[in-house]
Amino acid sequence: MAKTFLSFLLLFVVLVLAQVTIFNHIWLFGVAMPLVFIFFIISLPVTTPTNWMLTLGFLIGLAVDIFSNTAGLNALCCTILAGLRRPLFRLYVPREEDLINPVPSIKSTGGATYTKYVLTMTLVYCIVYFIVDSAGFFNATTLALRIAASSVLTFLLLMALAGIASWNKSGKKK
Amino acid sequence: MRNLLNFLLRYSPWVVFAFYAGLSCYLLYSDSPAQRHVYMTSAGVVASTVYDGVRNVTSYFHLREINDDLHARNSELEDQVLSLRRQLKEMQEAVYADTMTVSEILHPFSFIIASVTNNSIAHPYNYITVNKGQLDGVEPEMGVVDQNGVVGVVNITADHHARIISLLNPDFRLSCKVKGSDAFGSLIWDGHSPEEAVLEELPKHTVFAPGDTIVTSGYSAVFPEGIPVGSVIESVRDSDDNFFRLRIKLFTDFTTLSTVRIIKNNELDDIRRAEQ
Repeated sequence: MAKTFLSFLLLFVVLVLAQVTIFNHIWLFGVAMPLVFIFFIISLPVTTPTNWMLTLGFLIGLAVDIFSNTAGLNALCCTILAGLRRPLFRLYVPREEDLINPVPSIKSTGGATYTKYVLTMTLVYCIVYFIVDSAGFFNATTLALRIAASSVLTFLLLMALAGIASWNKSGKKK
Repeated sequence: MRNLLNFLLRYSPWVVFAFYAGLSCYLLYSDSPAQRHVYMTSAGVVASTVYDGVRNVTSYFHLREINDDLHARNSELEDQVLSLRRQLKEMQEAVYADTMTVSEILHPFSFIIASVTNNSIAHPYNYITVNKGQLDGVEPEMGVVDQNGVVGVVNITADHHARIISLLNPDFRLSCKVKGSDAFGSLIWDGHSPEEAVLEELPKHTVFAPGDTIVTSGYSAVFPEGIPVGSVIESVRDSDDNFFRLRIKLFTDFTTLSTVRIIKNNELDDIRRAEQ
């Protein structure tokens, strides 16, 4: 239990630092923004109580906000994403008891299910994020383009991250 | 009472969700950016420490472009120095009998050099963090420029860091004019491209051509007159027929912002007292 807690604390810190020092400065073609730190919310064990999910989601959003001068923006979006995590996960894995490991990964749910789950989470986050961020400031085309491009970029990076994580684990076992 | 407790326990995820969502919305919409606490921004202790560390690594990345810009600006300044020296000489002769020293009249502005530790261009409201703060003499409302042109205005100051409202932020309006004319308008970012902004409310009688330089008007105490801002791309329709609305190509390259100068107006106290 303590080991899980520590590894997630480390994941929290590493993801926030990576987001604010590297990914916040990437803005491909003026539309695609990678929001990679939501990997934390995606990877929290499915057995996490909802109140804890919401609290951790809010905290990681707030941490990224403080660094990015977007007070409240990511905190709000992460709270929403954390709240929607369980219903969205159940779309693809109706019986959580079937999982060997409560942490969603390529291994525990299978590649196809995991891909669908990550894609859904990314889309939901990007839609909420850019709608709240624009607040009626940009036109619909720009908004749609930003959501689509950022979703694709974020999704690709998240899958790469998940790939590295599962490769690491299988490497250790040998 | 017991029913209420039962109700809260039963729906506690909703209560927690509502609480966090409410708190986020409060942070997001509650007050103007200027009133926010310093620890909630990138000028806070933790954030500025991290950004200082990153800056130590990344400050080398754009050196070539910055060097080219500096060379160009330097030669321009040398030209100006020569012409100003000539003017100064003429004026010194003109006020020779006066007791006031000319150099003091001509130089109410001094500069504080600062390095950019964090900068955003992707949001609708952008901010810049620099590594000089109130202990270095930086105060809110001071203007900020780099080697190419206007960058923004200081917003919040910590001991050794400050947050600057970028020119790429609709909260910041800059009084500008077409170089060589006296009519002035208001420059504002329309949120589309980090390379372009819009000059509004320029009177219809102003004469200009695409490519003309836009400079600060000097009608505020923040920026001296004549700091380059951008060049005219084209005129677009304004909702009001009495004014021009111009698309401006900004001189400052916000994607490679590195070293900036914060303008200190030594006569600011005087001006404020006079305006009260």
